[in-house]
Amino acid sequence: MKSHIENRVYHVEILPPKQETEKLESDLELFTTKFSRVMNSGYCACITDNAMGNLAFQGTEMIEELGLAPREDLVMIHLNTFHTKVALDGILASCRNLGIRNLLVVSGDGSDRLPRLLPREIGASGVAAVTSVELLRYIANEHPGFFNLGVAFNPYEPEEPEFEKMERKLAAGAAFVITQPVIGLHPGVQKLMEKYPALPVVVEAWMSKKLELLSEAVGYEIPQGQAYDPIENLRELHRIYPSCGVYLSLLGFKTQYDFLKDTWKRG
Amino acid sequence: MKIVVCVKQVPGTSEARIDPETKRIVREGIKAVINPFDVYAVEEAVRIRERIGGEVIALSMGPARADVVLREAISVGADRAILLSDRAFGGSDTWATSYALAQAVRKIGDVDLVLCGKQAIDGDTAQVGPGLASQLGWSQATCVMAIPEIAQESLVVKRMHEDGWDRCRVRLPAVLTVVKDINQPRVPTLRGRLAAQKMIIPTWGAADVGAELGKIGLEGSPTRVVKTEPPPLRGKATLKIEGSAADCAEAFVRELRLKGLV
Repeated sequence: MKSHIENRVYHVEILPPKQETEKLESDLELFTTKFSRVMNSGYCACITDNAMGNLAFQGTEMIEELGLAPREDLVMIHLNTFHTKVALDGILASCRNLGIRNLLVVSGDGSDRLPRLLPREIGASGVAAVTSVELLRYIANEHPGFFNLGVAFNPYEPEEPEFEKMERKLAAGAAFVITQPVIGLHPGVQKLMEKYPALPVVVEAWMSKKLELLSEAVGYEIPQGQAYDPIENLRELHRIYPSCGVYLSLLGFKTQYDFLKDTWKRG
Repeated sequence: MKIVVCVKQVPGTSEARIDPETKRIVREGIKAVINPFDVYAVEEAVRIRERIGGEVIALSMGPARADVVLREAISVGADRAILLSDRAFGGSDTWATSYALAQAVRKIGDVDLVLCGKQAIDGDTAQVGPGLASQLGWSQATCVMAIPEIAQESLVVKRMHEDGWDRCRVRLPAVLTVVKDINQPRVPTLRGRLAAQKMIIPTWGAADVGAELGKIGLEGSPTRVVKTEPPPLRGKATLKIEGSAADCAEAFVRELRLKGLV
């Protein structure tokens, strides 16, 4: 992850088509276009895993079935706890076959259509449910040294338990952190960087103009009367966090993508 | 084992409207989905095939657009599908539907097991599974929550009741209706979904399955809907317990004891 930050590699989120889509062919085409564009730009394609509990196709199967070519080190697969053990092992095996080493391991958002890993299935004891910590430990133990494991950090959560959770994530094998979307300076992110100066931190930039969605997702309090310009916030994040990577969520490929080459110029 | 799994397309809403004239559910303008209980039946059929081999055939009766739910069954592992569709089936009640499905099962031939969801969420009758068994003259078990044993000529099933479960042996061929506790259905893979899109699904009409016209459609339906109205609200009472934590706990346990729950 350090090399991504040093080489100014954006992390671009791509959502696979939803299971319920009625226009699968065009959704697949769109996914292919986005993925290829990110690869050609030398950015990292980050593929979500049933984001917000919406059933979608899985990242590795999209790459395999569509015959996409992941560039080395430039794909990140999100992986949450809502899988059967067989499916989890299948995803990890596919990642290995495809040479995908970057995983963002999260607890995830469930749905009544999604199974959930059971602690005993992945050798976790003393816990009632599998969280990202147990999943990290399982992956680190089963595939020692292969994966570059990342975790989420939520600066909107109460500080003490969030940092306590971060300690457990790091102990379980986390090697980098991606924050929840931040708008400008956030003291929680500052503290994270101060507490773990050697830990690669990637800040998430909210690229949608709809701040109310962010408010719904993470509890961000929208300042009164403030217009939000995602590109300006992106520039601001680069100014405030020059040593961090940047993850772009809900990026507009038609309207915003072309600005990226200017917002974080490569040498 | 040759397994037929019955799936139904239902309105994807909990606020279905009843046509005051026909007393039927208004389906126009509402997104149709696979009946949620049938998803569990499909999953169980696929699991049985994975355990002991065989074939899973998804069967649905409905308009041409009901092929969507059959494709959904194929995307999670059914081998093939058949759509029963004919204007002559229109207006069939649960008994006429059971008859039509039974005719299709006979035409498929050599079927060992039919699986259905416990009930469809539109009509909520839970009658088609048992009706199908009756039409075929086969054994049946309803509200099946597990199939712990599969033998050559019989199955052992656990049936769910309001106050527990029982375990019984069912002679094959049989019709089972399943509840949601039976499994955790898999999510379709992209490969499965693409294969399902390409699959050709044959449509059988009344003549194809040898259905007698007097036993299907409105004419073959003994049910007469005289009146429909929402069910009465269930009597609910909320008891607020106040006081210290210890007092609240004591009062809570007392209430549970009074209601015979502990």
